[in-house]
Amino acid sequence: MLTGLLLTVIFGLLVYQRHQQGQFDLTEDFRAWGIVFLIFIGVSVVIRIIIQIIFHIINAIATRSEDVPREDERDKLIKLKATRNSYYAFTSGFVLSVVGLALGMPVHWIFIAFVASGLIAEILDNGSQIYYYRKGV
Amino acid sequence: MARKSIITGKESEMSKSSIQNNIRKLRFLKGEMTQQELADLVQVSRQTIVAIEKGNYSPSLELAFRFAHVFKTPLEEVFTYKADNTK
Repeated sequence: MLTGLLLTVIFGLLVYQRHQQGQFDLTEDFRAWGIVFLIFIGVSVVIRIIIQIIFHIINAIATRSEDVPREDERDKLIKLKATRNSYYAFTSGFVLSVVGLALGMPVHWIFIAFVASGLIAEILDNGSQIYYYRKGV
Repeated sequence: MARKSIITGKESEMSKSSIQNNIRKLRFLKGEMTQQELADLVQVSRQTIVAIEKGNYSPSLELAFRFAHVFKTPLEEVFTYKADNTK
């Protein structure tokens, strides 16, 4: 959750900085949005893999066990419910962005809404998992 | 919904399910089998055993039968259903 939040904020700031410097115009150039999204997906996948590897190494050293915890039916149910909640968040973001367009908001707001709803969806996904693990499912 | 603990006899506020279980008692009768040992036998994590014992998770039918198989006892002796008439 923290990784997703940090990644999005840092990447968002970098992109905004370049937009301010005039390297690309995110209010008009939708091709630039496509490139930004693709780079963001690639970067976030690579960084998440690296963090996962580092986490497993630290975990193996701390617990002195190389076994990866197996996923049982409760884990699967929790993951499923968390994914459902995040799907609701992302869909709501999409619908809100469409409503915004209908109300005359600039088109580039739809992309900002995508990023925001994607981030909220991820936070909700991880938050739901923590909630269900602690409070029961 | 409060539930009486089989071992201690105390009222438990943790139970959120109308399915109650005797797993703690059955583990005790199996020579104080640990949660990890039971988890390995029924192929789930120890955390899932903890959640089931607390009443925070109702297992699937297949897992319930696995418990009964491990304890060599009928399913009704492991899990019991108590209808909530307040709903």
